[in-house]
Amino acid sequence: MMNAKPQAATPHSPLPTPPPMYETFEHTADLGLRIRAGDLPELFAEAARALFAVIVADCRQIRPAQPMTFELEADRHDDLLRDWLGELLYTFHAEHLLLTGFNVTLDGTRLTATAGAESIDPSRHEIEVELKAVTYHGLKVEQTDDGWLAEVIIDT
Amino acid sequence: MSKRNQKNRSHRDRRSSSGPPKPKPGYAGPLEQVDECCWRIPRDYKIGMRVDGQIFADERLLEQIRCDQAPEQVANVATLPGIQSASLAMPDIHWGYGFCIGGVCATDPAEGGVISPGGVGYDINCGVRLVRTNLTQDEVRPRIGQLTEELFRRVPAGVGRGGSYLFDGKEIERLLTEGVGYLKTRGWATDGDVEHTEAGGCLEDADVACITDRAIKRGGDQCGTLGSGNHFLEIQVVDEICDESAARTMGIEKDAICVMIHSGSRGLGYQVCDDALKQLRGAPAKYEIELPDRQLACAPVDSPEGQHYLRGMRCAANYAWANRQLLMWQTREVFADFFGRSWESLQMDLIYDVAHNIAKMEHHTVDGREKLLCVHRKGATRAFPAGHPEVPPQYREIGQPVIIPGDMGRASWLLVGQPASMERTFGSSCHGAGRVMSRTAAIAHAQGRRIDQELAEQGIVARCRHWKGLAEEQPEAYKDVSQVVDVVHRAGLAKKVARLRPIGVIKG
Repeated sequence: MMNAKPQAATPHSPLPTPPPMYETFEHTADLGLRIRAGDLPELFAEAARALFAVIVADCRQIRPAQPMTFELEADRHDDLLRDWLGELLYTFHAEHLLLTGFNVTLDGTRLTATAGAESIDPSRHEIEVELKAVTYHGLKVEQTDDGWLAEVIIDT
Repeated sequence: MSKRNQKNRSHRDRRSSSGPPKPKPGYAGPLEQVDECCWRIPRDYKIGMRVDGQIFADERLLEQIRCDQAPEQVANVATLPGIQSASLAMPDIHWGYGFCIGGVCATDPAEGGVISPGGVGYDINCGVRLVRTNLTQDEVRPRIGQLTEELFRRVPAGVGRGGSYLFDGKEIERLLTEGVGYLKTRGWATDGDVEHTEAGGCLEDADVACITDRAIKRGGDQCGTLGSGNHFLEIQVVDEICDESAARTMGIEKDAICVMIHSGSRGLGYQVCDDALKQLRGAPAKYEIELPDRQLACAPVDSPEGQHYLRGMRCAANYAWANRQLLMWQTREVFADFFGRSWESLQMDLIYDVAHNIAKMEHHTVDGREKLLCVHRKGATRAFPAGHPEVPPQYREIGQPVIIPGDMGRASWLLVGQPASMERTFGSSCHGAGRVMSRTAAIAHAQGRRIDQELAEQGIVARCRHWKGLAEEQPEAYKDVSQVVDVVHRAGLAKKVARLRPIGVIKG
């Protein structure tokens, strides 16, 4: 499902940029997501994929039936990431939609994104967990030696 | 099991392979013993602490409590402006976001005291209620499988599951401002239900203008639904009576069947909290409040921002009481159909309903002076003693019923509030068992096991929408609630009345 490809090394970055990826980490009552990507737009897109990979058993079952666009702005990148994931969670809960095929562009701390959405179909979509909200606790978006890292804790 | 393992493989394949999760960092700061049930984090531990931290625990629980950053969060809360006496934590304390779970924080608006949405949590007025019946174990056990199945079929549970109670714009406005009282006008609650709900099932000064359309949309069709996560509906048996007189007053005896319901304000409450935290992003800077954790975002109680949150939070609190009322109402209907008798003839009376994620304005005595305080209970239960004017007349002589749900394999407890709660914890007690295992660790621990079969071997029928729900909530994921309750009992915060054991469990 990861549609982002590793980027080729350039003279300015001697190491190849790793493909975007995420992992969950331990938090007693909640769920931690750690996301890595070569650049910020891809970090935000991968965070969105991670969110839906946690919610639904098999993201490959989400069909991009209905195009959606999102526009968000915040003062800082970490708040923007929180708002972005919060917006997706709201869309899931209030509109009963699952999303896939994220494409994110960033202009400073202004985000524009497109995605494909599909109404939840219980015959194909196995919803595994209720994520209540995206918290500010331990929220992190930072540059690393080989790209970008984000950490976010989600109340479950 | 093969299908389950297959799903897990496909899930894992999308993740990075960075090896096993790192161990959680433990708390290495001071914890000084005050007495056999209380430990102190002195205010000089951390710059900015205005009061001590105090954790109610015993030696055994303390070992678990040290394993994560919950005590650090107790110290962080001690930095909030206007905090009174101490930043408190109950024995079911565990690592939360911002505030620890199991925390109590009272602030004085007259001293610049703040209100913090993080001190209430996303699930505003998550709480629990206990319903008695005149049925006995012998009558129900032989049919527990069918009864549990029927409840599972008819009481909506699970992620985002909508319910059968729908309210239009005017109706939802009344529900949010009048709580259970509004449901009474619709024939879905009795006078007794209202009287036996904390605050009569309604916080005054709730203002619908202080919540967003998004919040109303998110909760629009969810009133009367259980949700998922740690929420549950359980059929329980009174297993042990510790205080005969109080038990009699509450109408329960050994081997009697009760129903316990644990749920909150569903998507509406989550959205109210989320919106508030966004609105309060600039408040700490505006009011020159330095915070060690952004999730502690707050504003003075008397500020426009503080009042806005409080009025919106009260809407969500009223929604949550209405939610648990409708869950109970549906349960009564299922029992009536199943046993062929009306719920009244089954004597399915509400013993009591308590909130355990809430902020309320309450009168308390601090250093000999009576003050009107903003009491945050984040994973803590009100435990007012006998004689308190907010305790319903039926319980005025024994104290307010305190309902402590445990895990689905062991037990839950019914207690009554005691005088020391007013002296030590702003009238508060614990709220549950408290997690010891993260959800991810619990799922890993459940691999290759059938939690439902393990429970069945103990005589407990458990039904859940998704296997992960049972895995995350397996008994081993929690502290032993009896140990937790023992501490609040010995500390004089609440007194044991009865232990209840689950025989039928429904989870979302």
